[in-house]
Amino acid sequence: MMNSSRPLGLLAGLAVTLLFTISNDALAAGYGADPSQSRLEFTGVQAGADFKGVFHKFTAAVDFSADALASSHFDVQIDMSSEDSKDKDRDQTIKGPDVFDVAHNPTAHYVTKSISKTAGGYSAVGSLTLRGVTKDVPIDFQFTQAGGGAKLEGSAKLKRLDFGVGQGEWKSTEMVNDSVKISFSLLLKPNT
Amino acid sequence: MPIEASRTRYTPVAQALHWIIAALIVTQFTLAWMAEDLPLGAHKLSLLARHKSFGMTVLMLAVLRLSWRLFNPAPPLPDGMSKIERFLARATHVAFYVLLFAQPLTGWLMSSAKNYSVSWFGVFTWPDLIGPNERAFDLLKETHGLLSDVLFAVAILHILAALKHHFWNKDDVFRRMLPFTTTEKQ
Repeated sequence: MMNSSRPLGLLAGLAVTLLFTISNDALAAGYGADPSQSRLEFTGVQAGADFKGVFHKFTAAVDFSADALASSHFDVQIDMSSEDSKDKDRDQTIKGPDVFDVAHNPTAHYVTKSISKTAGGYSAVGSLTLRGVTKDVPIDFQFTQAGGGAKLEGSAKLKRLDFGVGQGEWKSTEMVNDSVKISFSLLLKPNT
Repeated sequence: MPIEASRTRYTPVAQALHWIIAALIVTQFTLAWMAEDLPLGAHKLSLLARHKSFGMTVLMLAVLRLSWRLFNPAPPLPDGMSKIERFLARATHVAFYVLLFAQPLTGWLMSSAKNYSVSWFGVFTWPDLIGPNERAFDLLKETHGLLSDVLFAVAILHILAALKHHFWNKDDVFRRMLPFTTTEKQ
């Protein structure tokens, strides 16, 4: 018993050391968004004028290190029924069957596939699942360390009709433009 | 610079502004009536988008018109009018000027309160005057509706008075605002 535990202990020690080395080298640090200080919004164009909506409820799991982009990764889940454009009539339409159809598609999901460095910050390619349709959407973002956590700010552009957001009379781009801008500012806290 | 003809006739600029604004106001009532009972949809948004663009046009023209009037006073009323008629004529015109500003402004405020910014025919967007506010919107909507009733009544009075001057008094009050005509007292 005493003899056999020794090589096992050594092996375990070696494994821990190895893991530690790997995580220091290539594993990105894990964060979660602090919902009270994070903002996720979209800007659409209706009848020639911009309008903004925010999502009050979403979760963002972010693994990011500037020197470990290969293992950096975001996973964002958005509660579509938390959409708020500060007009209840418009919100009702947006959450309704012709636009977000939250009854059948309560969440949107964004998950990155790759992240690369750009001149002004970083760029991610990820797949967005919105209203049951999954498509690649690139986002540009900046990551800045702040205190113990970090700030993640960025934007993306997508075409709403690619995801079927706008059925029936809302399919027309005459009153609501196809192009929608997404912007976000997340306060990240390290995972404990 | 006052033009000599303005003593008996409105200037061509004043005439043009009068008739363009009159046509816009008729359009505004029509669009508002068409949109009023529609549910929120593309059709309603499209009608209201035009209503807002025309409304902001009225506001810009009202600024132009009032400035023009400051330098080119309206021709005096005919001699034969009674005190009460003079008062009514004056009150109607003052009410028109107030409404030409008040209606676009309450409409603009309404749009701001409901968080639907006002675009001018898609060319540019006017800044929001106030932040989103449901209670303010309800109040402004009521005011905008009430003022439209007042505007409608004042317009009817104005049209009837013009016709009375033309057909009953047989003076030139109506004709002096009519382009391509002449007035006898020139």
